[in-house]
Amino acid sequence: MMVGRIAYMELRTGLKGLLIFGLLVIIVSASMPLIFPTYRDSLTEELEGANKVNLELPNEQGGMITLSWEPMEGATSYMVLEDNRSSMVMAKLKYMGEETSITFEKDFEEKRYYAVMAILDETSNPVLIGIAATEKGEDPFQELMKNPAYAGFTGGRNISMLEVKGFITLEFFSWWWMLAGLFIAYLSVSVIASDFENKRMDVMFSTPISRRRYLLEKFSAMSAIALFIILIAIAGLAGGLANINALDDFSAEAVFLSLIGCLPFLMVIVAVGMLTAVFFQKVRVGMGITFAFVFAEFFLYTFGSFSKSLEWMKTISIFNYWDYSSVIIDDLFKAVDFILLTILAIVLLIIGIWVFKKKDIPA
Amino acid sequence: MDDAMDQEKVMKIKNLTKMYGNHVGVKDLNLAVYKGEIMGFLGPNGAGKTTTIRSCLALIAKTAGEITIFGLDSHRDAVAIRKQTGYLPGDFGLIPSVKVGSYLKYLLSLSSCDSTKKMVSLAERLKLDLDRKTNELSKGNKQKVGIIQALMTDQDLIIMDEPTSSLDPLMQQEFYRIIREEKKREKTVFMASHILAEVEKVCDRVAIIREGQLKVVEEIQVLQEKTGKVLEVEFGDPVTIDEFKLKGVSEIQQDNGRFILTIHENLDGVIEAVSNHRILNMNLKTYSLEQLFLKYYAEEEDPEKGDA
Repeated sequence: MMVGRIAYMELRTGLKGLLIFGLLVIIVSASMPLIFPTYRDSLTEELEGANKVNLELPNEQGGMITLSWEPMEGATSYMVLEDNRSSMVMAKLKYMGEETSITFEKDFEEKRYYAVMAILDETSNPVLIGIAATEKGEDPFQELMKNPAYAGFTGGRNISMLEVKGFITLEFFSWWWMLAGLFIAYLSVSVIASDFENKRMDVMFSTPISRRRYLLEKFSAMSAIALFIILIAIAGLAGGLANINALDDFSAEAVFLSLIGCLPFLMVIVAVGMLTAVFFQKVRVGMGITFAFVFAEFFLYTFGSFSKSLEWMKTISIFNYWDYSSVIIDDLFKAVDFILLTILAIVLLIIGIWVFKKKDIPA
Repeated sequence: MDDAMDQEKVMKIKNLTKMYGNHVGVKDLNLAVYKGEIMGFLGPNGAGKTTTIRSCLALIAKTAGEITIFGLDSHRDAVAIRKQTGYLPGDFGLIPSVKVGSYLKYLLSLSSCDSTKKMVSLAERLKLDLDRKTNELSKGNKQKVGIIQALMTDQDLIIMDEPTSSLDPLMQQEFYRIIREEKKREKTVFMASHILAEVEKVCDRVAIIREGQLKVVEEIQVLQEKTGKVLEVEFGDPVTIDEFKLKGVSEIQQDNGRFILTIHENLDGVIEAVSNHRILNMNLKTYSLEQLFLKYYAEEEDPEKGDA
């Protein structure tokens, strides 16, 4: 009998959906680098705006701070807002008047931000001249990355959004796992559970196909689909980077290695999806559990990044073994992790086959 | 002797029990299907026909008992058995959005069968358009796809669960012809049905199952012989039961002076015996296979009705 017939049939009947999804992947992955230059320029401009505002700190605690700024043409008056966050969401009004310099006492210890705005006339909104801080100003995203909730995306590395590497790591990879992971979870549960729900198993197993071979072929088809969407993303991302002449900073090889690393990651999700599908034999239940698995793994990794005492959580998360930022930032592809995830996928698949052999096929 | 008999048996079910939790699917079922016969498996809905069939094909695990098909263990050698067995499930779904022809070819390839000859000829006989999409089929046409897939690989054993359901009468006739031809080619057919007329028409033997238990296994011909006339007589003078123990009388029921005799042959001899006495009342009825069948069906059902 021809090996691969079931896998082939699966790919053939699912082709339309797969091509639509592939199109979505290529649009997103190719357009992401294209956004970068505009993003970088606007961020740089924002940061450089700080140069228009000058802040002089006193030498000792309790001394005077002098804040001065370049006058803006057409401004009738200026406004200074104070906050201990760069986002200025809780800002208090510090000054309102026509001066271009103020002096006040430093009666605090924490870092404070001052936003200076120009008021042009009474009807239009104030215009930002710049922001200054009592300590060295940082790229607001860099500050954001210190938040442990986000540290998971970068493996705790210091990343600058002004560089293409940092931008792609945060903006592309942080959602790629969700897009690819949930798509493949949905597919691998439904290709099996829908055979149960639509009563296709009886006809399938009236042919001399063993349950093991059935699962192996479905698994191969799903792995091929995972590889397909990864290759599309690689092509899209590399194409997008070439388009903005950024392949020197972010090489095609790095694109390939960082994305191919999620192949065994997705294969583990496939194996989990198939295991739940043969156990529960219902699309909805299997999907719920597999989605929950993917998110639980993500949260384990995130919590594991919070503190040293929670670090063990990372080691049991599959996200720990697909370290794309290691490839992108440190130029290091962790082949051992790749192999470990592959072994895990195979073990889960074997458990799935064992469970399937034990289960009755409902009439 | 025993060995010779064993060789003839294509399928042997020994003490099969299947429990669904506390619910009995099939209990202690013993049945043998001989090579080259068409065996009907008759019973009301929910009697355990499908459970038995699906145990044979290892689609469900049996709780106890032993099933051998072609001398192979139904569970351990399931794949080897399926190489020689065609199966029409009672309820099944098709892969959607493919042409019927390519779906059937796909199933052929899973059975390592290259020839589409039988598939095409069956489709012609059952008037099924192979270019239709699987998700556009009516119930009857879907059933035809099921019948074709069970027969197209030309297996030695064909197991069918309610094969004529949703087929129109003309197609049913064509199906019976096809099945009889398979028998002529020494194929063995095991066919579950709840329609007596169908079993009577095509089967050599019938097994009647009710509430998970086998009630009777008999050749159709023998069953038909058991049918016949039922004579109800009320006598005006004393009569002994021995007087009616005659050739051709299979059953005698007595209620004082009232006798109910089931007669298959020797009607004139019986009438002669009856006419020796004073007859108060007499009624002669034809007893059909259907009534016999209903008798098996209805057994033990009356007390339940009493409860309800």
